[in-house]
This record gives sequence, structure tokens and C-alpha cells, in this order.
Amino acid sequence: MEGHQRNLSLYERFNARVVGVSRDDVTTLKYWAKSLDLTFPILSNVTGFLGGYFQVKPEPGTENYPIFGRRTVIIDKKGIIRYVRDGSPDFKDILLFLKKLNQEGGKP
Amino acid sequence: MKKHLGMFLCFVWVGMMLSACATTETTQKPYKVSPQGTVIWNDEFEFKPPPPGWKLIQVEVGGEFGFGFLRAEPGQFPSQSMFVYDEEPFGCSTKFEDREVEFFKRYLWTTALNIDMQILEKTKVNVLGGEGLAVVAEGKDPVKKEKARSKVVFGKRGDRVVAFYLTQWRHIDGTYDPSAFEIFDKFVASFKFLKKSFYETL
Repeated sequence: MEGHQRNLSLYERFNARVVGVSRDDVTTLKYWAKSLDLTFPILSNVTGFLGGYFQVKPEPGTENYPIFGRRTVIIDKKGIIRYVRDGSPDFKDILLFLKKLNQEGGKP
Repeated sequence: MKKHLGMFLCFVWVGMMLSACATTETTQKPYKVSPQGTVIWNDEFEFKPPPPGWKLIQVEVGGEFGFGFLRAEPGQFPSQSMFVYDEEPFGCSTKFEDREVEFFKRYLWTTALNIDMQILEKTKVNVLGGEGLAVVAEGKDPVKKEKARSKVVFGKRGDRVVAFYLTQWRHIDGTYDPSAFEIFDKFVASFKFLKKSFYETL
């Protein structure tokens, strides 16, 4: 998340906005965002339904209380998912993709 | 005929061995040494390396820094010094004073949960061809009976803040060795960018 905060001005240049999603509750996220000086919104996905929305499969053995791996998703202005990568975000790859998308006119 | 064929195969085999060695060499080393004795790292950075006794360390993926140097030192565990160059130091601010506060919220958090780093001095410095901020801090971990002295130098690459930092670890009763800090200062003073960063070319 800190990496995204560092890149906020670049995201704005490419007409993109960043939103974080976490399984933590709102109180925990507020404290956490403050401690890292994050200024973008973070959604509290306590029930985990957003994981299914972005087609992330729960870690094996966590079906009753699903735990999701990290996934980066870029959605264009039409609501179409254009980019999906699992694991730690590759910020350079994300920025290059956003630049390309912005040049195509398909603003995220 | 058989003799000629044997010699030909021998040449081919030797050629294959040499080419294999050359391939291994180029894929393993991200640096070369210039005629002036400086290190050219990935054709991107140039710096004066530390003297013998310092071991190169680098993180390929998911690390907290790019590369640096480690020296094991005499004395009770954990006597050692390590300094690194970090393109993405903890924090987000582009102002040095704010970044320093953000940085020290998380500095050493993976290795020393109980350490309480105290800032001893802050000095404006010239680094990387521009203004920078040097911070010296010390902390003790009474649980592990360890202590650390650090020097962090913040500078700019384009609009973004980068950092160099040295951490010297000692047993809580040990004494710090200033020679590592002098070597670190020479490393920082010699450091140059040979090309624009990824972010500057976006």
C-alpha cells in the first residue's frame, strides 16, 4: 500500500485512482492507514465477498473464513477488468500498463 | 580422417565450455569494475566500493533494498555492519523532514521489534548532486541485549526520495566502530546515477 501511496501523483497523471481492499475491519484499517500516512480509500471486506467479485480463490483450507492472496486488478472506465496479477504488486509493470491504457484512451 | 574428426570435436567441446563459462559470468554479475576502480552497477549507478572484508549483498525480489555491503566484525553477537542503497525507502513523502519521520516508524522493524531508535542528530548535506538530509540514530533492545547505531542519508533521484543507510549492530555492552561509518560516507559521496530512473522516463 505504501508503494501505491508513493506513486499517487503518477497514477493521477494517467487518470487512475487507487482503492485498497482488505479483510480487516474498519477500525483496524483506519489505524493502519494513519500509521502509514495513506490518503487513498481502503475498503473493509470483512465478509470476503469482494474476493469472489474479483475471482480470487481462497487459500486452501480457509473456505469457512476465506483468506485471499494479494491480487492487483486494473479496471477501465467501462468497468472492464484489464489487468490481473497475483502476489506483491509490480509497481513498474502497473505504471507502464496505466500509461498504455491512458494513451489508448481507455482511462482506468 | 579419424584424427582430424577427433581434433574437430575436441575444439567444439572446448568452445562449448568457454561459451558456457562466458554465459554464466554475464548472468551472475550485475556489475563491472571501471578502469578507475569504481563499480558500475547494472549500467545505472557508479560508486567507490568498500575495501576488502565487505561482502556484497543484494535482493532480487520483494526486498527492502536493492544492494549493499555487509561486514562481520569482532566481538560478541551480533557484531556486524551493513550499508545499502535503497531506491524505495520506507515512507511516501518527498520532503526530507517528513520522510525521515515516516522512515523511522518502520526502520529495523523486521529485525528488532523491541528496539527504540532515538534520533541523535540531523544535518543538511549535499548528496547526489543536490540537497539531502543525514540522520544519526541509536537504539537498544533490552530483551535481546543488542543495540544498533545507524546513519541514514536521504537524497533525491528526480522527484523521488532515495536513501543510503548503515546499521551497525553490537551486543548491548559492545562499542561501536567508527571506521564503518567513514567507509559508508565515502561510498555515499562517490555514488552517481549514470542514467535517468524508470520514474523519470515515464
